[in-house]
Amino acid sequence: MVWKRYVLAFAITAAIFVTAFYIASRLDSARVADIRATEDSISIDILSSETQFELLGNLDCQTIAQNSGLSDELNSLASQLSVAERNLGDTNPEVIQLKKQYSLLEIKDYILLQNITEKCGTKPVYVLYFYTNSGTCTDCSRVADVLTYLRSEYPGLRVYSFDYNLDLSALKTLISLHKVSGAALPAIIVNNRAPVYGPQTLESMQTLIPEFATLATSTQATSTSGY
Amino acid sequence: MDVGALGVYLCLFLALYFEVFLLISYLEKKPSAKTAAKPAYYPSVSMVVPSYNEEKTLAQTVHSLLALEYPKDKLEILIVDDGSKDNTRSIGEALAREQTQVRFFHKENGGKYTALNVGIVESKAELVGCLDADSFVAPDALLEVAKKLESDPTIMAITPVMKVYHPRKLLEMMQAVEYTFGIFYKKMFDNLSAVNVLPGPFSLYRREIFSTIGLFKHAHNTEDMEIAFRMHKYGLKIANAHTAFVYTTVPHTVRALVKQRTRWSQGFLQNARDYRYMFFNPRFGNFGMLVLPFALAAFFAGIYTAFYALFHMLNYVWGKVADMLATHIPPHIPAAHLTWFYIDTNMMLFVVIAVLGLTFTTIFLGQRISETRLGVSSFISYFALFGFIAPLWLVRAAWGAALSQESRWR
Repeated sequence: MVWKRYVLAFAITAAIFVTAFYIASRLDSARVADIRATEDSISIDILSSETQFELLGNLDCQTIAQNSGLSDELNSLASQLSVAERNLGDTNPEVIQLKKQYSLLEIKDYILLQNITEKCGTKPVYVLYFYTNSGTCTDCSRVADVLTYLRSEYPGLRVYSFDYNLDLSALKTLISLHKVSGAALPAIIVNNRAPVYGPQTLESMQTLIPEFATLATSTQATSTSGY
Repeated sequence: MDVGALGVYLCLFLALYFEVFLLISYLEKKPSAKTAAKPAYYPSVSMVVPSYNEEKTLAQTVHSLLALEYPKDKLEILIVDDGSKDNTRSIGEALAREQTQVRFFHKENGGKYTALNVGIVESKAELVGCLDADSFVAPDALLEVAKKLESDPTIMAITPVMKVYHPRKLLEMMQAVEYTFGIFYKKMFDNLSAVNVLPGPFSLYRREIFSTIGLFKHAHNTEDMEIAFRMHKYGLKIANAHTAFVYTTVPHTVRALVKQRTRWSQGFLQNARDYRYMFFNPRFGNFGMLVLPFALAAFFAGIYTAFYALFHMLNYVWGKVADMLATHIPPHIPAAHLTWFYIDTNMMLFVVIAVLGLTFTTIFLGQRISETRLGVSSFISYFALFGFIAPLWLVRAAWGAALSQESRWR
């Protein structure tokens, strides 16, 4: 019996495991870089829309409304963040940082939407959705599923999702402005109305959003993440 | 990471370690190619054909032995009918009448090992072999065995390369792949002096060993495994003649396959219990330090990963059903993300790729050793079926061994 063979086999096996770990880590890093690049791109787009809004005021609402649709990009970003959170864990500092940046972008897009609505008289349909990652919130993921499904049915629906417990002052301000309680999450706010808490079915959500009657339906698939 | 996944990583590490170990062994000593050389000496051989209800294949099996390229005066065939209830007896008697090399014995049913022992006791030859009545040998198989034995007088028993006879159905093709990497394993076990079984189809023994270690035992219906364990106990060398081919018919229904493999697996567990002192005992070389512990680990790893996968699959399906019932979302195909970003590239994926890569390598090397070519359909049937069927016999065998129930030969 040759002991050297046992040691060599162990070393090679361990090396394969280390290589697998390295490749997986590199791909996760590439994903994080991808998300960061998308966030930067969206950030520039929002800044551009804000600048355009300030330049044009309400003189050319049609142009502003056409160029302010960042909802799809944000929702795609949310899906990517879900993947990063699944792979790296929701306590990973890099993931938390990306989520903060994402939440800020959402808030900026939401404010821009409010301004356009006010000045141009548009009638968007939007939902602020607050969820929690602490503990197991089955209702949160189910409400996310319902919103994802509704977005695929009504592409005009805008969904802004926020991790209620994210340590971000702008988010805390938004929460206090809308008087959202963290005791009974998930919570949804439709078009700035009072928060509605707890689980929702497809029918109850459709009742909460009567504006669906004004939105065009589509079979085109879009997505909303579990955020 | 959940605790269950850690167990899967441990199973993958063990699988990878074992495959790497065998590949190192392969690189250290590659199997030699078949040559046209003849042995200088032809030892006398008695081939025992234990038969129980083998009316369909017995004649073909005996004729394949009669067709062996070996001096006729050096080869005799002993058919031992173990109390068959079909026409095995009349077929055996007819063969003995027609062929001078064939002798026939009939006895009360007592199990395969008793039939083998009758043949050994009746034999006077230098080598005693066994050929199950559902197997057929290549014409030059005995010559190749004789050459191998001549090359090393310390070899006391020898196993051939076992191939599946005419695999046509999906289940047979699945087993053809399994047998092919078994060919690689067996040859590497030979390199490591750790052959763990002397299978019924065409294993041969120097007759004198039976006076040292005794005859075949019941051994939980796996006498071919137990005798290999016993030979390791006595420090007797077992080799693999990788140029001697034998073809065996395999179960072609799931029920028959599970029954056969339950017998093998349960036999392994029970023999491992009987010979537990060999585990991690350096006195028994690679057999005690590598082959036995890894065979046992593979057994439980198979059960663990099957239950882990089943649990996650059921959990996923139940979760989806519960979500649908709670949300009333109609069944629909979710939006697909067709970029690499959404592919789950965790560490386990790459470890599994490594394990599969090495598995393909061993199958490829098994094909080279045995001069076999497996089709794409064989690989598809193996990877599609094996993972679902194997856990059935593993669980049944574990259950049977835990309750110490004897599995049935037939």
